[in-house]
Amino acid sequence: MVNLVLTLLSGVAGALVIFLLPRTKKRLYPPVVLIFTLASLVFCWLLARQVWQGQTVRLDASLAGLPFSLAPDPLGMIFGLIVASLWLFATVYSFGYMDKKPRLGTYYAFFLLSLSVTLSVAFSGNLLALYLFYELLTLVTYPLVIQTREEATKPAGRKYILYSLSGAALILLAIVLTYSRGGQMDFSTGPLLAGAAPAGLGWVLGLFILGFGVKAALMPLHRWLPEAMVAPTPVSALLHAVAVVYSGVFGILRTVYSIFGIELMQELRLARLLPWLAVFTIITGVIIATRQDVLKKRLAYHTISQLSYILLGAFTLQPWGLAGSLLHMISYSTLKITLFFCAGIISEQTGETDISRMEGIGWQLPRTMLAFGVASLGMIGMLPLNTFWSKYYLMQGGIKSGGWIFALALIISGIINAVCFIPTVVAAFKGNKTPSVEKGRKVYLMLGPTLLLATAAVLLGLFPGLVWPGIEKVLLQIFAKVV
Amino acid sequence: MIAAVTEHLPALVVITPLTFSFILPPLGRRLGLARGLVIFSAILSLLGAAGLAFLVFTNPGASISYQMGGWAPPWGIELEVDSLAAFFLLLVALVNLPVVLAGRKNLTAEIGSEGRVIRFYALYLLLIGALSGMALTKDLFNVFVLVEVATISCCALVSAREHPQAARASFSYLILATLGSSFVLAGIGFIYISTGHLNMAFAGDALVLAGQSSPRVLWLAFSFMLVGFGVKAALFPLHIWLPDAHSTAPAPASAVLSGLAVKGYIICLMKILFTVFGPALMARFTVPRILLAAGVVAILAGSVSALLQDELKRRLAYSTVAQIGYIFLGLGLMNEQGLAGGIFYLAGHALSKALLFLAAGAMLAATGKQKISDLAGLGKKMPVTMAAFTIGSLSLIGIPLFAGFVGKWQLLLGSLESGSILASAGIILGSVLCAAYLLPVVRIAYFENAGPAQVQNPGLAEKLSLVLLAVSTLVLGIFPGPFLELALRAARDLLGCC
Repeated sequence: MVNLVLTLLSGVAGALVIFLLPRTKKRLYPPVVLIFTLASLVFCWLLARQVWQGQTVRLDASLAGLPFSLAPDPLGMIFGLIVASLWLFATVYSFGYMDKKPRLGTYYAFFLLSLSVTLSVAFSGNLLALYLFYELLTLVTYPLVIQTREEATKPAGRKYILYSLSGAALILLAIVLTYSRGGQMDFSTGPLLAGAAPAGLGWVLGLFILGFGVKAALMPLHRWLPEAMVAPTPVSALLHAVAVVYSGVFGILRTVYSIFGIELMQELRLARLLPWLAVFTIITGVIIATRQDVLKKRLAYHTISQLSYILLGAFTLQPWGLAGSLLHMISYSTLKITLFFCAGIISEQTGETDISRMEGIGWQLPRTMLAFGVASLGMIGMLPLNTFWSKYYLMQGGIKSGGWIFALALIISGIINAVCFIPTVVAAFKGNKTPSVEKGRKVYLMLGPTLLLATAAVLLGLFPGLVWPGIEKVLLQIFAKVV
Repeated sequence: MIAAVTEHLPALVVITPLTFSFILPPLGRRLGLARGLVIFSAILSLLGAAGLAFLVFTNPGASISYQMGGWAPPWGIELEVDSLAAFFLLLVALVNLPVVLAGRKNLTAEIGSEGRVIRFYALYLLLIGALSGMALTKDLFNVFVLVEVATISCCALVSAREHPQAARASFSYLILATLGSSFVLAGIGFIYISTGHLNMAFAGDALVLAGQSSPRVLWLAFSFMLVGFGVKAALFPLHIWLPDAHSTAPAPASAVLSGLAVKGYIICLMKILFTVFGPALMARFTVPRILLAAGVVAILAGSVSALLQDELKRRLAYSTVAQIGYIFLGLGLMNEQGLAGGIFYLAGHALSKALLFLAAGAMLAATGKQKISDLAGLGKKMPVTMAAFTIGSLSLIGIPLFAGFVGKWQLLLGSLESGSILASAGIILGSVLCAAYLLPVVRIAYFENAGPAQVQNPGLAEKLSLVLLAVSTLVLGIFPGPFLELALRAARDLLGCC
């Protein structure tokens, strides 16, 4: 309990400290932010230990006459750990990237607040808490999207808010429908709608998928994501490749496994359509990605495609598929953040944002482009990178659920992924050798986390057993068996 | 002494503001003294209302009936403190106190001389007295008298500023409101013809019989009532007077007009619909469907109109039109959850909208500008005011832990119970639209770069009033327990008495 509270409060407390620090003490920001992010991570690990050991950690409150609870279960814990761990890398990267940029106080305060809110989404123990924090996440990340205050941030920010709040409104409706149908809101007692008659529940499922699908960037609800790339790179990397979009994905995982449950899902016609929607998003997203010339936009469309890998696994309703989903949540996030970090270093050090102008850039930024290359291989799903394993499980899940075509889609997507990134890496080392610009404190602060993450991805590919115990816990809880 | 006060408390909560209202004008230009008296009366009202609410809350099922002058109904005028009355009385007192605290500096600047401010307060107290009376009265003709008192004082409040626009807005309000009053009077007349009673409970009993013999007369009575109160409560499309009136009035007046005055008429309509006509007769006349449809249309049309406004106060005024729709929607759902949701939403909106108008007033006074785009950078320059505005906005949008959410949640539950997809869709869409018209204000104030101009920060009293309202909005959102319980009981009472 203490760990739970401290994990969540670290971010809020940090934001408060930043807010109260006088504006003249800007050099104090990085240490403060680092301390509170680290604290959150440490408590999160302690909490995870408790949860793995099977302890029930709960925090209940009756607010507004309605129950709200925080109760991390294995599924939420995996999401929470991903978030808390990657936040640290993005924070250090921010110290380099945001150096000497304006409005640092606002940036760090909301960066820390977003950490708390994202973790709260992960640890929500019932529908209302999930809704509350999901809605709050939109509001606390909005200032980060419009951080630069450039002209382009206005429409992008508007779209971000409008898409997300509309989605949240649909979720509220779906929650009330669920509540009036089953009278249950707490996730701990098994699927909320288990045993309910399936008639009419297709609509409820549809509302949930539409609502969470906005943040999970399920096509055609994805339009806000490429535009949100006006944010500073650490924000794009962490929030719009991982934290915010994962909260949508997580919401869908909850919908499928904690609200509807496998038996009910198998009976709903809509549930059989969902994998196809995911396949459509996977293929279309990556094809659109190859046509983008702005690197960050390409990465954004690529995110859209990859998120649907996770959704596809969840929609198969198979242990293999879910294991693949969870593995992909872990592996993809490490690699995608690496790619974004590289894009940030490129734009900061050379000023280039368009891929067509990046020929020969590898000579200037050798280590950056090395990391970029490693991550690109990962996106194809090659050994020794961690995404190989997640793709393997996802394909198994697809085949087990009776659709070899799902496995085929993943293979095709892998090939398009190669087209998407490998030429960039090759072109980067064309032309004459130019002197390296990877020097100075700023670059090291950005390069450090990037290389560490790339290394971590390789290590996780070589030793996938490191994360397996956590996934096993989720599978045992949901399917009562491991693959 | 205490026993006597307690016994006459229902009459006293109405009489207190009225008495103070008559004391004020002779004071001439002594504004300090006058303000002291007004605040004193607001505190007395709050104590009285809280006392009554406590009595009603602790005695479920019982209500306090008070006979004016000792005349028993059906001849005398009866005041009854039931759950609905206690709820609304407390709400009036809760909004009243911060609003009178806010006045002084900005008010004098907006209205002009100190003598005018004192007269403003006299009329203001008249309005509070009338609203308290509306909560309590059980007598149809008394309803009409109070409605007229409220209308006249509202008109005067709108025209308090020496400005041609204010005069025009006040005049058009006067015309339409008088039209509304005469409709109400006609409706009361028809009920009296059919039943021979002016006491609501007696008229309701007699109406059951009358309904079988002359349904057309009742249909007419009902139509007059709905249109009459619809004009006064600014039910779309009868709202045309509201945006001008509420946006030109001085800030404290806008807060009370939008927050409380329109709600008083809704409470009256509620009592007449449910106590006099009764749910069975309402269902026969398809009243619920009319209310529901009117509510949804009001939500959508009001929200869209609000989106199109550039001026902050006009946007808030149109937002009131939309939020009134929620309350009417709640009336139309005809089940406990929905009706309680409507009643609770009435309170949530009253607090949030008063907060928004007071904050807007402070911002306008500080910058002297009306346009939303001129508010850039105010978040840093007026932290308390903007924080209050943000809380009010979040509450209206319906974010959990704010008062607005509780009402919307109940309304949603009610709409699902009645199986009305239209209502659910309206509620949800209204929330999204509300975010679309309120959040940009917050964004511009916090995230757009400000000009170098210095602004005049509100005084301590203004800040205190904003904090009071913001805290009530939060408390009502986080611990709605007793308030929600009163609303649920009121809904049960209203639906049960047929």
